[in-house]
Amino acid sequence: MSYIVPIGPYHPALEEPVHARLYTDGESITDAKVFIGYNHRGIEKLATQKNFIQTLVLVERVCGICSHSHALCYALALEQIAGMKVPKRGEYIRVIIAELERLHSHYLWLGIALHLIGHDSLFMHSWDDREAIMDILEELTGNRVNYGAVTVGGARRDITDDQRKDILEMLDKIEKSNIALRDILLADKTVALRTQGVGILTTEDAYRIGAVGPQARASNVPVDVRKDAPYSSYDDFDFDIAVWPSCDVFARVVVRVLENVESIKIIRQALENLPKGPINLGTRIPKIPAGETMFRHEAPRGQLCYKVVTDGGETNKRVSIHVPTFKNAPTVPVMLRNNSVADAGLIIASIDPCFSCMDR
Amino acid sequence: MQEYKKIFITKEEIRPTAQRMRDANVHLAMIHGFINDDGKPNVSYEYEVGPTIESYTVDGESVLPTISDIYDLGAEWPERELQELMEIRFEGLDNDERLFMPDTMFEGQGHIMVTPMKELIDKVHNRKEGTE
Repeated sequence: MSYIVPIGPYHPALEEPVHARLYTDGESITDAKVFIGYNHRGIEKLATQKNFIQTLVLVERVCGICSHSHALCYALALEQIAGMKVPKRGEYIRVIIAELERLHSHYLWLGIALHLIGHDSLFMHSWDDREAIMDILEELTGNRVNYGAVTVGGARRDITDDQRKDILEMLDKIEKSNIALRDILLADKTVALRTQGVGILTTEDAYRIGAVGPQARASNVPVDVRKDAPYSSYDDFDFDIAVWPSCDVFARVVVRVLENVESIKIIRQALENLPKGPINLGTRIPKIPAGETMFRHEAPRGQLCYKVVTDGGETNKRVSIHVPTFKNAPTVPVMLRNNSVADAGLIIASIDPCFSCMDR
Repeated sequence: MQEYKKIFITKEEIRPTAQRMRDANVHLAMIHGFINDDGKPNVSYEYEVGPTIESYTVDGESVLPTISDIYDLGAEWPERELQELMEIRFEGLDNDERLFMPDTMFEGQGHIMVTPMKELIDKVHNRKEGTE
């Protein structure tokens, strides 16, 4: 018996609105369609009416989870147009915040995934670790989200010696528990039953569709903007790209846990080698000449793209934002096919979707 | 360090360029579009060639050939997005459904204030015929 099962746009299982239609044959999904746009706020249009510092504040509000990534990528684009050289200390502070953001985003996703899997004790364990990271971000920036840590030409806030010690202590704590989390996830029967062989995205499909970030790396595609096109001093740090070959939901869980290890490594190196000197080029509204560029940043969910066009005036002529979920969402129907309706929620969640990012 | 290189091409060069990039296993980062001050569209195909973005740009064309058969869903979604948000049409795009909110929900009930995809496409088509 064939059915069309609608999910959303507003549904108790969804944190954000999206509409999906599952075409089913009995329990099995034969096809699926995704419709987006329910969170569209016209941010790109609004950005053409704001000056460059106001736009930083605006783009931070595209997303609550990866707010620093949006501000950073926009600032990097402007700096490339203007040919600015950001002080090294400013670049390191940006990297530290970006990796703390990646950690808390991955822990957030792990918690949600484990809750959907039905492993609520690990979900709470994961979110307990996340809370330690959120406390540090609050200590560094004054906010749990929308940190305001970036300005055009550097960082807005310095890191003191006391804060440096607090970050290192927090890293020691979560590093131990991350190893425990990894070992449990790799061996746990409940996790294996719900995730292994579920929601397959083959390496060929990931290449074909152009998946990015952890979604691609979990399909054994070693792409990472921090390595492929380094920026903001990422080439100063020793870290690996986490990949996993099984191409299923299990791989997406494992890749994110392994990426936590790499992020901890990067933050430690940045703190140990934090250069002395200024953190920015000044806090006045910058003068940006006419120009255009597209800049890429490895956000927690994958490659974030900002295309910025300026005309030498005080506002942006054009800002176009494309986020990793926009690249990964087309993989969802492919992953859903031949899986059961009961696994649909977990498979959709496995791309770590952010619809407010995608809709702008 | 990342670099950005802008290259102007004609609409006839869009598909050969896409095929050359696909054959070289180059990732299509995005297709961006915007409307110039003179009201004409400007569409850029952004390819990641190592650390450099090669931005192949077509200026002043409102009807372009699709590359969704070359770059699959990686191009189909950006083309559908541009088709809905701007007066740009992609010929040969094998999907005339809306991406941003469907025309209709179930039992014929649609979203209010959502222009059906067919009307959007007709608008571009009529404008093109009117200007030629």
